[in-house]
Amino acid sequence: MLEVDNIDVYHGDLQALWNVSLKVGEGELVSLIGANGTGKTTIVESISGLLTPASGTIIFNGVRLDKEPSQRVVQLGICLVPEERGIFPGMSVLENLELGAFQKKSRKVKDETFKFVYELFPILKDRSRQVAGTLSGGEQQMLAIGRGLMSKPKLLMLDEPSLGLAPLIVKTIFEAIREINKSGVSILLVEQNVRAALELAKRAYIIENGRIVQQGDATGLLSNEQVKDAYLGIGSV
Amino acid sequence: MIFQLLAQTLVNGIQIGAMYGLIAVGLSLTFGVMKILNVAHGEFLMVGGYIAFWLFTLYDIDPLLGLPLVAIALFLLGAAFYQLLFSSLARLHEEIKMKNTLLVAFGLFLIFPQVSRWLWTADERALTPAYSGESFPMLGVQCGYVPLCGLVVAVVVILGLHLLLTKTYFGKSVRGTTENWKSAKLMGINVERTYLITFALGTALAGIAGVLVGMTQTVTPDIGMPWTIKALIVLVLAGIGSVGGAFFAGVILGVIEAVSAIFIGPYTVALGMVIFLLILMFRPQGLFGKA
Repeated sequence: MLEVDNIDVYHGDLQALWNVSLKVGEGELVSLIGANGTGKTTIVESISGLLTPASGTIIFNGVRLDKEPSQRVVQLGICLVPEERGIFPGMSVLENLELGAFQKKSRKVKDETFKFVYELFPILKDRSRQVAGTLSGGEQQMLAIGRGLMSKPKLLMLDEPSLGLAPLIVKTIFEAIREINKSGVSILLVEQNVRAALELAKRAYIIENGRIVQQGDATGLLSNEQVKDAYLGIGSV
Repeated sequence: MIFQLLAQTLVNGIQIGAMYGLIAVGLSLTFGVMKILNVAHGEFLMVGGYIAFWLFTLYDIDPLLGLPLVAIALFLLGAAFYQLLFSSLARLHEEIKMKNTLLVAFGLFLIFPQVSRWLWTADERALTPAYSGESFPMLGVQCGYVPLCGLVVAVVVILGLHLLLTKTYFGKSVRGTTENWKSAKLMGINVERTYLITFALGTALAGIAGVLVGMTQTVTPDIGMPWTIKALIVLVLAGIGSVGGAFFAGVILGVIEAVSAIFIGPYTVALGMVIFLLILMFRPQGLFGKA
């Protein structure tokens, strides 16, 4: 479904990604894990068209994306829920969700999508008139995910949805991500919370200093000594 | 007698203030949405006034009927200038973008008066349809038809803009882009196109204001900068990001100027600058802006 092949990405003169390749299959839930500043966000921003790779290709359902503008990427069915949520703080919850369905194709079916989003996060329905900036952190994250879903994506990318949230709320969010995946949406989940991400995903990629260093079955990675050592804090030192 | 004078002054102030508001709203739109301070805003106003003058003298089109034509012409002109001069700068980092677009706009401020001197000479031009000097009494106050029309036009245009921004999908995308352009992009909003249309809307508003200026005052090649400054004062008074706020701030400034003219005469222009400084010192977010 999504194939990222050997991309190099620069921020100005600085190279952020080296030969990154990854795949997300139809209906799959894939995690991308790694420490802060290793290039996870750069990967998803390159896929969503905010950044343009200097070399390599990104192909989604047979269409090359790496030179396309972001609105075309959304149109083809990929939506990124950005790091730190990126909601529109001065607009109402309802308006935020409406803007999620900005593309003509998603606008047509937005009543139905609204139903799905409100079922997933009932709190958003109760708060629909409220100004988004006054929501709690967890509610804002729900809004950001809900807004992403409003575009009716085939692939939803989530950049650190657990960032700065209380453990109980993280659980709710991860439960919702599982629900979304069950409804047929493929998911690429970027996380620092390695254990939770590996427990949720089928497959995972581990990134270090702009390179993919490990990949494979999530359960396999969970029991991998090196991973335990570096990320789970339970390795044998 | 003094009451009547005050009432008359108040009416005049509101009418001219509505025009201030209209001019400031256009400037506020481009500044709020894309962080471009278009100091050539008044130049577009001047061009709007001259186009109305052409339509009036060459084709005998009433300035009020010519309004939509002027608005369309200035929309296209603004779009062309944006595409040609500003679009490549809009991609830059915010601070560099602010500085560079400011320089470009100052360049336009230098070029526009020269070109219009060549096109329309330096003579004072005014739009004077047959009804321009007439007025009617209302509650002991003389109400001119032209200033009243100006007030109506300003209110209608600003209400229309408000509805556009709050009720339509396009308007919401403009507000979304203002609040977080990156997220707007991720929602599939074509941010470059939103910028283009917003800039053009701003110049169209300047053009409409130019027609009103031509009807109530005069148009010369050099009126641009004074109007830009007036709009800036109103913008600072109102705070960024509120269409209604800019309008009311315009009315407030208009009334203050008109009333103070009774007491301090020609120094009212300086009063605007004093208000500008006081607001910046004590309430930098403006009267209607968020802190």
